[in-house]
Amino acid sequence: MSQVPCCEVLSPHEQRLFDEMQGRAEKYERGRERVFRIMKRFQAQRPRIDIERARYFTESMKATEGQHLMLRWAKALKHIAENITVYIDEDQLLVGRAGKQGRYGILYPELDGDFLDLAVEQLAQRVQSPFDIDPDDARLVIEEIAPFWKGKTFHESLAKALPEETLRYTYDPQNVLISRYIVNETASFRSCLQWVHDYEKVLKRGFKGIRREAEERLAALDPLSPLDNTEKKPFLEAVVILCDAVVLWAKRHARLAAELAAREKDPQRKAELAEIARICERVPENPATTFHEAMQAQWFTQMFSRIEQKTGTVISNGRMDQYLYPFYKKDKEEGRLTDDRVLEILECMWLGMAQFIDLYISPTGGAFNEGYAHWEAVTIGGQTRDGRDATNELSYLFLRSKREFPMHYPDLAARIHTRSPERFLWEVAETIKEGSGFPKLINDEEVIPLYVSKGATFEEAYDYAVSGCTEARMPNRDTYTSGCAYINFAAALEMTLLNGRMRKYGEEQIGLQTGDPRGFKSWEEFWNAYLTHQTEFIKQAFIQQYHIIRLRAQHFAAPLASALHDLCMQHCLDLHQPKIPGGIDLGYFEFIGYGTVVDSLAAIKKFVFEEKKVSMDELLEALANNFEGREDLRHLLMNAPCYGNNDPYADGIAKAVDRAALEFTHKYARELGVHLDLRYVPFTSHVPFGKVVGATPNGRKAWTPLSDGSSASQGADRNGPTAVLLSNFASKNYDFRERASRLLNIKFTPKCLAGDEGTRKLVSFIRTWCDLKLWHVQFNVINKQTLIAAQRDPEKYRGLIVRIAGYSAYFVDLSPDLQNDLIARTEHETL
Amino acid sequence: MAETGIVFNIQKYSVHDGPGIRTVVFLKGCPLHCRWCSNPESQKGAPQLVYNRNKCLGIEHCVRCLEVCTAGALKAGEDNRIAIDRDVCTECLLCLQACPSRALNVYGEVLSVEQVLSRVEEDQAFYTRSGGGLTLSGGEPMHQPRFAIALLREARRRRLNTAMETCGFCRWEDLREACRLLDTVLYDVKSMDPYKHRLHTGVSNELILENLQRIREEFPRLALWVRTPLIPGFNDTVEEIRAIVEHIRRLPGVRYELLDYHRMGKPKYEYLGLEFPMGELKLDEERARAIRRFLQTEAPELLVPEQPEPAADAYRAGGR
Repeated sequence: MSQVPCCEVLSPHEQRLFDEMQGRAEKYERGRERVFRIMKRFQAQRPRIDIERARYFTESMKATEGQHLMLRWAKALKHIAENITVYIDEDQLLVGRAGKQGRYGILYPELDGDFLDLAVEQLAQRVQSPFDIDPDDARLVIEEIAPFWKGKTFHESLAKALPEETLRYTYDPQNVLISRYIVNETASFRSCLQWVHDYEKVLKRGFKGIRREAEERLAALDPLSPLDNTEKKPFLEAVVILCDAVVLWAKRHARLAAELAAREKDPQRKAELAEIARICERVPENPATTFHEAMQAQWFTQMFSRIEQKTGTVISNGRMDQYLYPFYKKDKEEGRLTDDRVLEILECMWLGMAQFIDLYISPTGGAFNEGYAHWEAVTIGGQTRDGRDATNELSYLFLRSKREFPMHYPDLAARIHTRSPERFLWEVAETIKEGSGFPKLINDEEVIPLYVSKGATFEEAYDYAVSGCTEARMPNRDTYTSGCAYINFAAALEMTLLNGRMRKYGEEQIGLQTGDPRGFKSWEEFWNAYLTHQTEFIKQAFIQQYHIIRLRAQHFAAPLASALHDLCMQHCLDLHQPKIPGGIDLGYFEFIGYGTVVDSLAAIKKFVFEEKKVSMDELLEALANNFEGREDLRHLLMNAPCYGNNDPYADGIAKAVDRAALEFTHKYARELGVHLDLRYVPFTSHVPFGKVVGATPNGRKAWTPLSDGSSASQGADRNGPTAVLLSNFASKNYDFRERASRLLNIKFTPKCLAGDEGTRKLVSFIRTWCDLKLWHVQFNVINKQTLIAAQRDPEKYRGLIVRIAGYSAYFVDLSPDLQNDLIARTEHETL
Repeated sequence: MAETGIVFNIQKYSVHDGPGIRTVVFLKGCPLHCRWCSNPESQKGAPQLVYNRNKCLGIEHCVRCLEVCTAGALKAGEDNRIAIDRDVCTECLLCLQACPSRALNVYGEVLSVEQVLSRVEEDQAFYTRSGGGLTLSGGEPMHQPRFAIALLREARRRRLNTAMETCGFCRWEDLREACRLLDTVLYDVKSMDPYKHRLHTGVSNELILENLQRIREEFPRLALWVRTPLIPGFNDTVEEIRAIVEHIRRLPGVRYELLDYHRMGKPKYEYLGLEFPMGELKLDEERARAIRRFLQTEAPELLVPEQPEPAADAYRAGGR
């Protein structure tokens, strides 16, 4: 009931921070000298922009205008592979980066280059996720790169294509560079949704094998067929060029490593460099034969993928404990590899990831992905393709690395099922207790049956990999890559109160006119008006999506992603094409502000219509004044039944809201030929979305963050963490297959989970979460006092990592708004 | 099933009061008056009006409670807050319904067995996985024996795991009936010194120790956790704890634990308009550590065994 007045128990992560402040850090570094040396070189750095990718990409695209898009893309990649600077970092065991040493971001002008010149001037001043750029580079961007793309970017095409009324919900019609944050498209700040490659293909066949397949297919084409000549031929030629590009890029590293080895004085490093040269000569061209080779081949693949296109929230890593296991096992059996060495190589990869920053040029992209967000999801655990537990020794090494090496890379995700071994759950719980928010958990018992119902085979569904924030992908079967709509339903609520207008946008009639609510006689009337707006919002999102699906194929291609996909290869179709035969298209739309909307509706229902304690007039006036002088009313409203307390009154409304959205997509998604499923995954969008919504009837003040994901409104969950899970369960419509991921944050104080007893109880809490078939959960185990102290004294708390929305970030990298939001999330404590 | 009782709190996700994840049901009323009591709202049997000054919006912003009080018990007080005249208050509780910020509240509510257990059963899914269930606490559950036993009987019928925290100062017949329906008893032994016990809790410890003995004799297989709240100036010495340990180690199969004194109940005294008898007294950490060391060396068999780590090699390496 009461809060502990001071932190009685620190999480290991907090303990480590305090030890570092007092100069007692070396015990954590013992045995990890190499990785700590590498980390310290970039840790406190502000990221810099590297323009090489944009420059060579643009150079090549200028020269190939008019040709088949996939072929152009492959040629551009080859041009980049030939010209981009190659680096071999001091102490590193894995090589391959897409830009300058240190923390860096790269540019994708084909995506949102119309923002480029403006953005380049502003990036360094941006509150969320700032970047630095060299003045000469900035000039090159503004004078050479940006002008070529003006008028050609996807963002501009989309803005032109949207019907007028849809545009009003999307951008400021006077200036389409400004997002409205109402029905927010996300396809213009990433050229592909979160995605997972079939990395195993590279490890087993090498790019030589993929190239050979393309060549054989080329030779077998019907020379008289117009289709073969216009579609299949350029596709397959592009695959050949792509394979050459990757291999060429790898071999440039081999040459550099050999040169450095020749010059190196230190015998140990000399040997390491020679080994790097040998490995890069071999992979990813050929199949990998050792663990180290497999890691290097995977790393080249994912880095080249990052060069190829901007995959939203960074390309995911798939089921690493599965596809690496045969190499691990063989090396261990043959005495070539120790677990310490495995950790060292893994951590060398995490260090590589940590230096590549997913850069968002547009202000919307930046606001959606605060704290240099990244979701290079590494999946561990889960089940095998034939439905058995998949945990192995490597799964435990990933968890161990996460406990012992204090970085928020990679984004670690554990798949949990009803038969997950007790040891696995125990170590997962111990890792969560570490306090930096890893791993996030994804529930096999929810994902697998759902994916089967959406058309997958059991084999494919059992083999899903966590992708991005909370999503699940089936490599070789998933084919949907279009960014989807994030919908601000708190804005729909505000439009219900203001007859289709919003406080932020004044007198402009953006939405439908549903009438002055002061004239509503019953709750049903109000509820129907709200649903009218909710449905209209979803309709606008689907209209956006129609144009997005159609336009992307004209703007983007991905030879690498397509070459690694069985269905793309089979049909010679680029992954960005709207329809790939045999694929399952899992799109979505995002419900933002769930708790805010539900609690507001509950307050109106109870106090305005049922108890008549508050008149609609009084409510509207208080909202218009942001509760100025009406603290009493604000508190009364906050005492309405709230979502997150296992209260049937609020949860019933939550379920009805969810159901109405499901019914719409059940009926209309098929018209677009894809699944558009209902999700509750905000990134950090609940912060910018909150900034366009005035005070709400749940007592929320104007312009403050909305509730996040499927979590309760900030501070509204008063009945403990079990009630939070149960509300989530109670508000889901399990009879609809159109449901998808729900992001759920739970914050515990370290004291609540202290000792073995605490771990045991966290394990059983997770087991129950699994029984309830909730899609996702993640934990912050931290004392509120630590967050407040870090806000006051950011220098001292530079290393403090917190969980945000499917990813973790440095607390001090976040905007004050988001910091306050994290502090406001209820922490669960017990008597 | 028509049995009702007075409950002052139902606490979900309780992890320190018996095995697994539990729901603690706090029954009002207690025969003891411990100076250190952290639940002062539990002592009186009847519901009580409480006022939390910190939650109050202040009479500048809100006078809803003053407007509804017909007994004249509420007045404007100092610091922009209200003053309660408890002698005049009829506990009609109209003010409580009027209060928007829950600054005015009531401790204690009449609930039926059915009402309590349906709340407890909401967390069934968590009990299944954790081995948790219902814990009765208080106050002293045996202060409302008919209600407590009815709760336990119905909980049994619903296959809920049951535990009870008790001070042991109650009729043996009631306690025996409860033990027949319990999986775990959490039993307080505060001091072996009868005089001191009376001085600080209002009653002697003889009945308490006698009941403990009887439980062990009549229910040899019942999980019995003896607990001692470690109170500064009362029993925070090795000698005091040694005396307790000597006594209970003669009873087979008893688990023992210390509960550190804390002052989290202090604000509640203020809400109730009471003085906090312990003042600024704090538990001396050095003393508490010495007592824990004593227990670990002299009575390890009584302490909760820590579960062996399933993969010792994989934990908290501190370097490789």
